[in-house]
Amino acid sequence: MTLRTRHVVAAVLLFCALAGSLWSPARAADTTIKIQVKDQVQVDGKSKKIPVAGVSVSVVDASGAEMGAGVTDDKGIFVVALPGPGDYTITLDESTLPTGTALTAQTPAVRQVKADDFITANLTINYFTGEANRTTKSFIDKLAQRTTDGARLGLIIAMCSVGLSLIFGTTGLTNFAHGEMVTFGGLVAFLFNVSWGVPLWIAAPVVIVLGGLFGLVLDAGIFGPLRRRGIGLVSQLVVSVGLSILLKNFFLYRFGGRVRPLKDYSLQTSWKIGPVDITPRDFTTAVLSLVVLVAVALAIQRSRLGKATRAVSDNPDLASSTGIDSQQIIRIVWFIGGALAALGGIFRGLDEGVGPDMGADLLFLMFAGITLGGLGSAFGALIGGFIVGLFVEVCTLFGVPTELKKVPALVVLVLVLLVRPQGILGRRERVG
Amino acid sequence: MNWSNIFEATLSAFFGVNAMYYAIAAIGLNVQFGYTGLLNFGQAGFMACGAYGLGMTAHYFQISFWWGIAIGIGYAVVLGLIMGVPTLRLRADYLAIVTIAVAEVIRLIVRSVRFKVYVGGSDGINEFSASYRRLSPYVESGRYPLSPFKAEGAVPYVMLAAMLAIGLVLGAATWNKLGKRFPSVPQRAGVGLTGVVWMLVLIAASLRVEYTGYSLWTVTVGWTLVAIFSVFVWLLMRSPWGRVLKAIREDEDAVRSLGKNVYSYKMQALILGGVIATFAGMMFSVERGSVQPDNYSRDLTFYVLTALVLGGAAKISGSIVGPMLFWGILAFADVFLNELVKSNGGSVEVFGIQLIGNISQVGQIQLMLVGLLLILLMVFRPQGLFGNRKEMALDGR
Amino acid sequence: MADDLTPAAAAAKAALADVTPEPGSKKLDPILIANGVRRTFGGITAVDVDHTEVQRGSITALIGPNGAGKTTFFNLLTGFDKPDAGTWSFEGRSMEGLAAHKAARLGMIRTFQLTKSLTKMSVIENMKLGATGQVGEQWWKGLFPFMWKQQEAEIEQRADELLARFKLDHMRDEYAGTLSGGQRKLLEMSRALMARPKMVMLDEPMAGVNPALKQSLNQHIKGLRDEGMTVLFVEHDMDMVHDISDWVVVMAEGCIIAEGTPDQISNNPAVIDAYLGSHQGKSLLEDL
Ligand SMILES: Nc1ncnc2c1ncn2[C@@H]1O[C@H](COP(=O)(O)OP(=O)(O)O)[C@@H](O)[C@H]1O
Ligand SMILES: [Mg+2]
Repeated sequence: MTLRTRHVVAAVLLFCALAGSLWSPARAADTTIKIQVKDQVQVDGKSKKIPVAGVSVSVVDASGAEMGAGVTDDKGIFVVALPGPGDYTITLDESTLPTGTALTAQTPAVRQVKADDFITANLTINYFTGEANRTTKSFIDKLAQRTTDGARLGLIIAMCSVGLSLIFGTTGLTNFAHGEMVTFGGLVAFLFNVSWGVPLWIAAPVVIVLGGLFGLVLDAGIFGPLRRRGIGLVSQLVVSVGLSILLKNFFLYRFGGRVRPLKDYSLQTSWKIGPVDITPRDFTTAVLSLVVLVAVALAIQRSRLGKATRAVSDNPDLASSTGIDSQQIIRIVWFIGGALAALGGIFRGLDEGVGPDMGADLLFLMFAGITLGGLGSAFGALIGGFIVGLFVEVCTLFGVPTELKKVPALVVLVLVLLVRPQGILGRRERVG
Repeated sequence: MNWSNIFEATLSAFFGVNAMYYAIAAIGLNVQFGYTGLLNFGQAGFMACGAYGLGMTAHYFQISFWWGIAIGIGYAVVLGLIMGVPTLRLRADYLAIVTIAVAEVIRLIVRSVRFKVYVGGSDGINEFSASYRRLSPYVESGRYPLSPFKAEGAVPYVMLAAMLAIGLVLGAATWNKLGKRFPSVPQRAGVGLTGVVWMLVLIAASLRVEYTGYSLWTVTVGWTLVAIFSVFVWLLMRSPWGRVLKAIREDEDAVRSLGKNVYSYKMQALILGGVIATFAGMMFSVERGSVQPDNYSRDLTFYVLTALVLGGAAKISGSIVGPMLFWGILAFADVFLNELVKSNGGSVEVFGIQLIGNISQVGQIQLMLVGLLLILLMVFRPQGLFGNRKEMALDGR
Repeated sequence: MADDLTPAAAAAKAALADVTPEPGSKKLDPILIANGVRRTFGGITAVDVDHTEVQRGSITALIGPNGAGKTTFFNLLTGFDKPDAGTWSFEGRSMEGLAAHKAARLGMIRTFQLTKSLTKMSVIENMKLGATGQVGEQWWKGLFPFMWKQQEAEIEQRADELLARFKLDHMRDEYAGTLSGGQRKLLEMSRALMARPKMVMLDEPMAGVNPALKQSLNQHIKGLRDEGMTVLFVEHDMDMVHDISDWVVVMAEGCIIAEGTPDQISNNPAVIDAYLGSHQGKSLLEDL
């Protein structure tokens, strides 16, 4: 075996050992609650029921742990898989109902079910809506709420993208497996918090370090050796695609396809800050994200390491001739990128639950963000990621259906490429 | 463990429907990625164009089913422009990012409630293949063995001739692979002999494979399309046009400095490859008589890419053999693991670690293998299993 | 050196004899005129050329210390980069905003400092790529060999002639990647000639070429002038500049600081100053 081969094998084995022993295969769920939302309308004097899509609903168990949350599909249905019959609370988010409609009095937003209600394994909960006679939130209030949500998403995207952009800047690699690094954070946090019952505030630092190590393993085991062999960037990119397939299915294999909530901080009553509803948890993660991102920005600007990183991004040859160990910088960048991605994964998991696709679903938004900010620039990633997150949430106020809220991000991406392909902070390339 | 089951499943996967439409998609991707170096990660989007072109025509437009082909091609051209205009002047990664995003957005849009009236939402469009099925010369529920010895009339001779032809092509490829050229008489004889050996292998392989009349129709149409597109791409790539593409793959600035409009060539390659892939989507949907948005996820693109790299990019044969092998390997892994689970009473343990706890994990292990395969190929055999190391094509940044 | 002047060389010499040796001087019959061309990268002004003209049918050398902006200037003129400001015209036709391939089609063909031979294509394929106006380069015509076969044969014949002239014919069917550095420079130059340029712009054609090959490259460049082409080339080796160029343009820190015949330049204090300011000063002085 060559040195290189051994590297790859060692990396794969190490990863399997790390993650493989983590949790036992997921048990397939049999019990379900089917939530159905329908609008009652009068057509030719007859009452008709029309499915309502895009309504947010969630189910929590007696201890307050979230069992599932999501949006109704085009049949007005959302199904939550449960570990078994028991006491559950089902909540419908009334702010997500189509404008001008409201729930009828017979079907309130919050509903309780008991274990006895499960006559068969599958229980159906119906919600009916009719014309609203209540006043809905004003546009400004909604804008404030969406902006807050958008800012939170933007902060998470920014956090996840920094590594993606720094890795690109220092090595030229566009890492399509970066989404899986986010997923890694979320799933390992789940492992600690739910499977082993470790409080999240203790587990989180460990998960972040593990995320950094995961980045290091990927670099030492795969991309570092490829770089040293002088393998082309396009080939490296395709390798990262393979890695993404491998990791995603590994997560699926070990964790199952279900989206599951973390245990801590899952049931909280919202604070009302002016027109904005925000849970203490979301507020805290947003503040923490902001602190981390400001720290990262300062570090890049001020610290020796940050300066060295920028030097390597600008011109690797020149940087090494001035005595900077560019390989060392690259390793550190992978570590930091992995750690930030893992933290992003935890925060995202707190927000939306963890599942094997959680990171890959963000990847496209991260790409849009770093393109907007300027490929290779860490600041650009921060700013671009934030703007994209904000944009994605706020656009729903302007007639974009929730299910299509990623589409405007693509429009942003395309426009940036057409108008200013180097992004806000990037530089034009050199020829010759 | 039922080995003959495993063997049979692997063999029929080689010539099956999946390998066929992957081959069409891979031929398209080969024009883009293999020859021109364009990282098109939105092949699933192009395939969806064809599928929805057919589906929408049959269901929503009051015109003949056959217009769907033209409409699908039209969609693909528009899609190619959307992907290409913002990115093809820029470095390679941007195309990858935008194509993957556009394909994903297409999937979101066609499965959305908002556009359900046009494209059927997450259920897609169903039961639109009647016109296509009516054309079939085969009895739909009939059974058709692939083996020439079980057929009647002139069919066996046609089949034997076809197998000989394929055998000779494989024979020539084998000799080529061994670094031999064949101008001399003994070498030509060698090619002929190798061809006959290949033919015998094919006959042996075909002995136990059997199609229903329905899938045989799809297989016939599909592999005919594969043949047509192969010749099409082969002709293109030996023309000066193909020479420009290969040069762009290596260094587009050099090509630009010689007065060629690189942007336009890249666009042509992207669209031509996309239109070819559109036919893969058409075959896939028409075979099921339905189109579902979630079949056109980015995973599909990645699997087609893996299949192409497996066979070897920038070669016609690679784009055909790759998908066949890909599905052969997948079918083997699938049946093998399933048999393993069955014979072990539902779960598989190694050294006390539970490897497979339920049958749904087999699919995930299969796909992990796909990812691993792609990594290993890119690292150790970027020219594909049968490629030529010298003209290894993938570093064309 | 002056004894065996070809008619073209004599004509160029005569045309430039009466031109004042100062930056931005007017030429009798300029093929290329640039005005106020400026390009900055962040804070650095890489190119800031007030005015310069290149005499038709001459060999003009562009010299200057590393980082003077020569390559960037080439990139701007040939459409590979966009300037912040400036206009320039080639054969009286305004060129700003023109895409690189269009500039090339007008007859302004460049080579690159780092050679761009297409290493995974054979030498002859490299050459054939250079030919312009190929029918088979449209895909729908490429499908039908009978439409382009004859033109292809003509192109191939011309390519073979050029390869023979540049002594690359023995490598005809090898991958370009198997050529030595000097051979690649030759290949790139002869590939450029396949496009039948009016003006050839060579960015450091001699860098990394062994001395024996340098001599023949010299002759080839002079040959281009004899065929009526204009040559603008970047070079460091003063001996070589002296030997083949009719006119020398000196750049430093983005600006043109001197122009003149090789003899005039050798004695120009501004030039010596510019070179002394950089680490190359010494070697240049030794050359002088
Ligand atoms: N893409 C770029 N980004 C930043 N600086 C550049 C770029 N291209 C050139 N430069 C700078 O412009 C100056 C001129 O460079 P160049 O034209 O390559 O000089 P020369 O060819 O004369 O050696 C140098 O200082 C170089 O660092
Ligand atoms: Mg230079």
